[in-house]
Amino acid sequence: MIRTAAVAFGVVFGFVLSWTGLADPSFIHKMLSLQTAYPYLLMATSIALTLTATRLLARGHARALLTHEPVRWSTLKPERRHVIGGSMFGLGWAMSSACPGPVAAQLGQGFGWGICTALGIFVGVRIYLRREVARARQQTPGLAAQAP
Amino acid sequence: MHDLLLDRPPWYVAGALIAFVVVGLMATINERIGVLGGFSQLVERAEGRSSSLGWKAWFLFGVIGGGALYALATGSWGGRASYAWLTDAIGPVGTGLLLVAGGTLIGFGAKTAGGCTSGNGIGGCGVGSRASYVATASFMATAIAATLLVRWLA
Repeated sequence: MIRTAAVAFGVVFGFVLSWTGLADPSFIHKMLSLQTAYPYLLMATSIALTLTATRLLARGHARALLTHEPVRWSTLKPERRHVIGGSMFGLGWAMSSACPGPVAAQLGQGFGWGICTALGIFVGVRIYLRREVARARQQTPGLAAQAP
Repeated sequence: MHDLLLDRPPWYVAGALIAFVVVGLMATINERIGVLGGFSQLVERAEGRSSSLGWKAWFLFGVIGGGALYALATGSWGGRASYAWLTDAIGPVGTGLLLVAGGTLIGFGAKTAGGCTSGNGIGGCGVGSRASYVATASFMATAIAATLLVRWLA
């Protein structure tokens, strides 16, 4: 059920990204060149509605329909990594005029260039995960002995 | 129907539809939206770090399906999207290399920041996470500054 819900909401998300043109790099290029306000207004609307809806969910002590858990979420305090990672991500976003959601929608649309960006995302994630493992090993020397 | 889908919906309609997805995920499976997480779960699965795919990978498959559904509904297979301004300037090979490099920064940077435009930008900001506000301000400012700088230099 959880899997089905995830796929269904994903389909709506990918469809809307395509319909709005957010999966079209030339439109994102216009956005980042400040030639259209559409994506910013869209994001602001979505954030405002989500802030309102989550407040209502919390106030009503709502439970998730499928998992029956109380609906809850965590918030984080800003750290250096949010600025550094965010800036790197922003640079990649400017270079490709695409980000992970739109890239996935591009793959579905059969827009071939999306394969290049997706490939890059996989490489970037892999580098991050490898570094994370290396760092964990440094901090706990015992782990290094167990590793193959 | 066909014409309706070829025209961009008003921004407030589109914003409401995106919020429907964000809130819908929370109200049904108690999870916060994220697309990068799906890419990450595929890498973790491929490398044997995890033995199964989490909901984010299935959400990612859905997003791909949503793109395909749109292409089918509008008869626009291959997408109406374009990199014409890039291919005109640096050719197809240059564009491909730029996209791979850009994607790598996206993957590494968003993992470091704990989310992409969906995870931090609409999901994290939507629940009032200050870290997401900072991450979103950082990537928006960098992306806009880099784009304007390149346009100014070119």
